[in-house]
Amino acid sequence: MASIDIRDIHKSYGKIEVLHGVDLTIRDGEFIVLVGPSGCGKSTLLRMIAGLEEVTGGDILIAEKRVNDLAPKDRDIAMVFQSYALYPHMSVAQNMSYSLRLRKTPRERVASAVSAAASKLGLDPFLERRPKALSGGQRQRVAMGRAIVRQPKAFLFDEPLSNLDARLREQMRAEIKKLHGELGATSIYVTHDQIEAMTLADRIVAMHGGVVQQVGSPLDLYDRPANLFVAGFIGSPGMNFIEARYQPGEGSPAARLADGTLVALPHAYALEPDTPVTLGIRPEHVVIGGEGREAAVELIEPTGFGTILHLALHGLPFKVFTTDRKVLNAGNAATISFPPQHLHLFDQEGARVGAV
Amino acid sequence: MATTVIAEQPPGRKSLMQRFARGWEPYLYSAPALILIVTVMLVPLVVGISYAFRDVQILNPFSGGFIGLDHFRALAGDRAFLVALKNTVWWTGASVLLQFAFGLILALLLDKPFTGRGLAQALVFLPWAVPTFLTGLNWAWLFNPVIGPLPHWLHALGILSEPNNILSDPELAMWGPIIANVWWGIPFFAITLLAALQAIPRDLYEAASIDGAGPVQRFLSITLPFLAPTIAITILLRTVWISNFADLIVVMTKGGPADRTQIVASYIFTQAFTRLDFGYASAVAMVLLVLLLVYSMLIVVLRQTLLNKD
Repeated sequence: MASIDIRDIHKSYGKIEVLHGVDLTIRDGEFIVLVGPSGCGKSTLLRMIAGLEEVTGGDILIAEKRVNDLAPKDRDIAMVFQSYALYPHMSVAQNMSYSLRLRKTPRERVASAVSAAASKLGLDPFLERRPKALSGGQRQRVAMGRAIVRQPKAFLFDEPLSNLDARLREQMRAEIKKLHGELGATSIYVTHDQIEAMTLADRIVAMHGGVVQQVGSPLDLYDRPANLFVAGFIGSPGMNFIEARYQPGEGSPAARLADGTLVALPHAYALEPDTPVTLGIRPEHVVIGGEGREAAVELIEPTGFGTILHLALHGLPFKVFTTDRKVLNAGNAATISFPPQHLHLFDQEGARVGAV
Repeated sequence: MATTVIAEQPPGRKSLMQRFARGWEPYLYSAPALILIVTVMLVPLVVGISYAFRDVQILNPFSGGFIGLDHFRALAGDRAFLVALKNTVWWTGASVLLQFAFGLILALLLDKPFTGRGLAQALVFLPWAVPTFLTGLNWAWLFNPVIGPLPHWLHALGILSEPNNILSDPELAMWGPIIANVWWGIPFFAITLLAALQAIPRDLYEAASIDGAGPVQRFLSITLPFLAPTIAITILLRTVWISNFADLIVVMTKGGPADRTQIVASYIFTQAFTRLDFGYASAVAMVLLVLLLVYSMLIVVLRQTLLNKD
């Protein structure tokens, strides 16, 4: 187990730069999730830590040792691949013991490490099977077993649950979290699924366009997204955004919408009057009924637990999530209002605006 | 319509002609194709095999009679045939192994990305496109010290004591056709092995390199197991083809000097088209056919047992 330091990491393929200087410190035993849409550079960063991609610029340190020029095998890390990358011609036991056998570990130690990992993952009955005779979830477990028998300094996960169906993904997600609790190993987990990120991470690193957008605990990112990207990416259904202009008012700051109506803000901001801003509010924080503004109902999606209302507010799409079943009979129009304490304010560059 | 007609007639009351037509209908439909296949494939085979038991000499108008196993008795005591048999093993073994070894090396090189790889892959395939007859002539000239550079180069390197034509040296002659054959046959192995190499998932290599495997261990524990089925089938195919493959030898050495490069296939060619003894040539060909069948059966059985073990 070890800490991992990433210092001003750049990565280019030819003239195309895909990582524009990433800094990140991962503490010993921490579970870090790199999350972002496809092509944001999260997998590239993980593969650079693993040693599968060359570092164009900057330094990677594992346990305070610079590893830029070390081969993957000398970095003492283990990786779980999206495709599992199991050796098809080896049995489950051989797959799990391959790294130990390469290191010329004594036979008894190999056997005990494999059986310990197998019983932890519930793989005992399958040790002599080939990967092709296993289900997706079992293969996933073998891939994890292959990583944990080594007791490496760090675990790297590259979208390990993407090939599983939804139910199994949920189950394995919980198992990974439990396993991390037991082993306490430093882990870096790449995913594009914000639910996986929220549920697994000690800290989330949200990435977009090769730049780290925000680093923080899951609830940090949910409650105080640093910019429009994080605000829109974290949370499902995604946050609503409304273009507005800031009005300081006389002790009652507000935002003026395009139709001229005002939305009360929780406090004053260090902004010039009439500055264009983007208001953000999560669908689950919108209040339905009572005093408020009218919106046309376009679509109602019941999810069982709650209901997603697709509205048209001033002609723009707007989503509301509620567990109140009365909205199922909402008809053509609904009245909505925005509780000020749940409003997020972003400036024209998309950065979060803090209170004065 | 047809069903209603049948329904009106009680079963068992159909005329003989109708029952005959009904029974034979499927065979009649497939007859044209079957007749074509039989005439094109089986008839020549049977006629060819029948030659082995007949005295067929083109220049002897009184030949053609049935002589039983006489050809095979003569064959058993034919020293030239035994030499050809030994040469065949040597020619086939050396050619296949060298083609495979160089083909594998080439495939591994072409599997790595580099600029101009597409062009290199196309160029590698080129020898395969050269007619074997031209390949033979070309290499015969290359080995000829009067017009070809190879003997002089080999002499300069100290491999040959004199810049002589190795095709006329009884000790070295077999190397001439083997080298030509290797040059011509490498692309087959290179291309098939390259295709198999590119079908290996990349992340297996990445997983192995993280697991601690070096290049040699990755080759042994991932590349070879993945290539094994392709290697087995290509070597089997090439062995059969090359042991039947007389073009290069006929063009380059005509089996000489002193039968040192005579393989069974070229011996058949010599018997049939130089001595014009088609009967004897056919008998030799039958022996070769049986030997290759036995070899193929052995490989198939081996493959099955290996597959069943999995």
